[in-house]
Amino acid sequence: MGSLDDLTPGKRTEGLLGHKGQVIKACVVLTAKLFFADPQWIIPSIIAPFIFTLVAFFLFGGQAASGSFLLYLVLGSGLMGMWGTTIYGSSNSIGFDRWNGTMEATLAAPIPLSWIALGRVLFNTFEGVINALFILAIGLVWFQVGFSLVSPGLFLLASVSTFLSLSAFGLLMCTVILLSRKGGFITNSMEIPVYIATGTMFPVSILPLAALPFAFLLAPTWGIEAIRLSALPGYVGLVTNYWTDMAILAVETVAYLALAFVLFKRVEAYAKRNGTLEEY
Amino acid sequence: MKSTDSSGAVLSANSRLRMAYRVFKGAFFFGRKGLIIWDSWEMWVMQIVITPIAQIGFFAFLSIYLNYPSSVTQYIVIGNAIQSMSFSAVFAVANITSQDKWQGTLPSTMVTPANRVALFIGRAWFQVLLSALIAAAGLVYAAGLFGVSFASADFAGVAVVVLLTSVAMISFGLLISAVGLYMRTALIVANIFLFVTLLLSGVNFPVSALPGWLQPVSWTIPLTYGTEAIRMAIAGSSLSALLPVLGEEALDGLIVMAIGYFLFTGFESLSRKTGRFEEY
Amino acid sequence: MSTPRPDPNHAVEVRGLTREYTTRSFFGGVTKVTKALDGIDFTVTKGELFGLIGPNGAGKTTTIKILTTLLTQTAGEAYILGLDVRKDLYEIRRRIGIVFGGERGLYNRVSALDNLHYFSDLYGVDPTVARSRIPELLKAVGLADRADERVEKYSRGMKQRLHIAKALIHDPELLFLDEPTIGLDPGGARDIRNMIRDMKKQGKTILLTTHYMFEAEELCQRVAVISKGKIVALDTPAELKKGVRDIAVIELRTYGATADYVDRLKQLPNVVRVVAELDSEVQTIRVQTPLGADLLSQVVSALPPDAKIIDRTIKEPTLEDAYLRLVEE
Repeated sequence: MGSLDDLTPGKRTEGLLGHKGQVIKACVVLTAKLFFADPQWIIPSIIAPFIFTLVAFFLFGGQAASGSFLLYLVLGSGLMGMWGTTIYGSSNSIGFDRWNGTMEATLAAPIPLSWIALGRVLFNTFEGVINALFILAIGLVWFQVGFSLVSPGLFLLASVSTFLSLSAFGLLMCTVILLSRKGGFITNSMEIPVYIATGTMFPVSILPLAALPFAFLLAPTWGIEAIRLSALPGYVGLVTNYWTDMAILAVETVAYLALAFVLFKRVEAYAKRNGTLEEY
Repeated sequence: MKSTDSSGAVLSANSRLRMAYRVFKGAFFFGRKGLIIWDSWEMWVMQIVITPIAQIGFFAFLSIYLNYPSSVTQYIVIGNAIQSMSFSAVFAVANITSQDKWQGTLPSTMVTPANRVALFIGRAWFQVLLSALIAAAGLVYAAGLFGVSFASADFAGVAVVVLLTSVAMISFGLLISAVGLYMRTALIVANIFLFVTLLLSGVNFPVSALPGWLQPVSWTIPLTYGTEAIRMAIAGSSLSALLPVLGEEALDGLIVMAIGYFLFTGFESLSRKTGRFEEY
Repeated sequence: MSTPRPDPNHAVEVRGLTREYTTRSFFGGVTKVTKALDGIDFTVTKGELFGLIGPNGAGKTTTIKILTTLLTQTAGEAYILGLDVRKDLYEIRRRIGIVFGGERGLYNRVSALDNLHYFSDLYGVDPTVARSRIPELLKAVGLADRADERVEKYSRGMKQRLHIAKALIHDPELLFLDEPTIGLDPGGARDIRNMIRDMKKQGKTILLTTHYMFEAEELCQRVAVISKGKIVALDTPAELKKGVRDIAVIELRTYGATADYVDRLKQLPNVVRVVAELDSEVQTIRVQTPLGADLLSQVVSALPPDAKIIDRTIKEPTLEDAYLRLVEE
């Protein structure tokens, strides 16, 4: 056994934002390590979207032969996969600490919980990117989708923005799940409805009118529109304007973030009042 | 669940039977209580209302978007209505083995010399009823929300198909539990299987649309017969006209159960050798 | 009345600290209020090793949770390093380290190194400092050669040493050790106690809770005994032991003694208290009595015929004896 003498004295990271950035980075890294340490990750990330893509491919049938339809299908499956990992991942991002026994250690950290959650949710959404890329690879190799985009630059911008809006949504979900204590119910109930309401596989315009307000309140709906407009030639969207979609996406994403940070204050207040977040 | 005469004494047929009955009775109640996923009303709402409607809706909207005739949409709606039982039939049953592992009750269950079939049938009864209930609810939504006509349906036939499919699918759940006994967890396998049925079991498109080499795999899954039979029953086939396909389904279910049993005993002795009961 | 300012020489200052838990019945009608802490006062001076002992449910964990800013008090004041636990929580958290007992608080599926890097970032340790401090800490707690292994493969003792390293990662001035040796084998517990002494030597202030009285007696300069939410005694271990100067302890090691025998001992005149450990093959029975050796013959004759005494000693009362008297009165 060594001794505790002669340790390098501790020193704080300078600047408030420096610490926050450090926390986000640490949470991304830890979540990634935990993710790869558990083989279950292949289900939401690889297997489920792969099979959904295959089902959709068979359903699209003859129509899949035309190039842009196939790209439409691959984009939709990829987005579905991203949604899936966002929903399941964000509910686990802090919830994981509950059954892992690290909730107190997490709550005791000298940083608001929202920053810890943000780092974790960012990686959870990124899992979805891995999975979207995987589906794209299947599309390119197996179904020989022609990957020619209308505007690669705008496509990239829309994709990154959609990624961020999914993360913001995941952060919001995380608070709702911590506050409501019904994580399993909420996540399982949301998965397919959000696939429908955000138009991953078919445009929201075919949905009943009553569903449209929900569709419009979900930021990724606009992100998906923008992605399609920038990728598919001749795509007729909802508002049919890329920048309008992007503007609505931005506004809603910021609103999610603001709401999430407010709700995180309530989560922490709850935790301090009860000394824990563990009692389910 | 304790068996009192676990000594090595040779047991008469009569006492074996009595012991099997006791185990069955114990397991019967365990089956009802043991599943934590059913312990709140939200889980019931999710499994019986939200998930089936969302799943049926997703694929129905997709077919509407693809401009398929309403007969195709109805085909898809009915297929998904009956497929929605898979979660309770397969996932939940496989979950029992996992829970035994988690709670450390597996070894004590395994050392009971009583008939393991009795044990597992005792545990599965609740899932049979529940799966049938979920499928029935799915059919109600198909009629009420998605316009499937039951005008010429043979209701006795529908009822028999639903019950038989539940029983046969649970035998699949038991098969996966057996695999789960040896693997780290059955849940991964069960989860993958849920998605696979969407692709292989004639849920969204006929088995004949699959590549030829894949079609025999479809016919190992009891649900594939179930989707065919339920469509026939709704279209008005009488019970006697359904008999051939129901007979095949029953036979398939029995074969699956037999394989499950042999795997179970095989893995059990393997597990005893390698001491893997409680690993994880 | 304005509350007096905290003394700058106090690492912990607690005044009238109270915590109530309210449980509501399902329909919201009946409410039940339980007092987990009932107005406790104590101070820990800087550099002190202070013990908090008491039975389960006495309020130790509640106290620790309030002082580590994880729980708010319902009344009273608590200052950590001169800072108010209700207002300055993030500053307090950066200056304290916490060791939770038991298996909790680590990410088992990743390595010790991963855990330490994660927590050092969470606590805002400058990355260049962390790069040298983490390997030094791993070496100090004897985990350097297994730092890359997943924590789930560690023994209980190794996990607990990792807990210590984790708590020290940000070089805190004040450490809260909540049952740090619980569930450890004797060697593992000794390692932890040596580390606690080391930390004290380096000038850290330590607040320790423990179930083991010999541990408190061995390590702590002062001990507060907490029972039913109140502090019933607060002094050095030596002073606390004076409370039981009037008794001596007959310690027996027996073979085949049962609960019946212990009950019979309790019935004997002049027996103050009997503490027995009957679980193992050799039982340890401690009989507190003012008579000392004079009671020995009665103790022996009460023994059932099939039981044997391995050895017997007359001992000075320990902190444990003092503690038992305090919490049972």
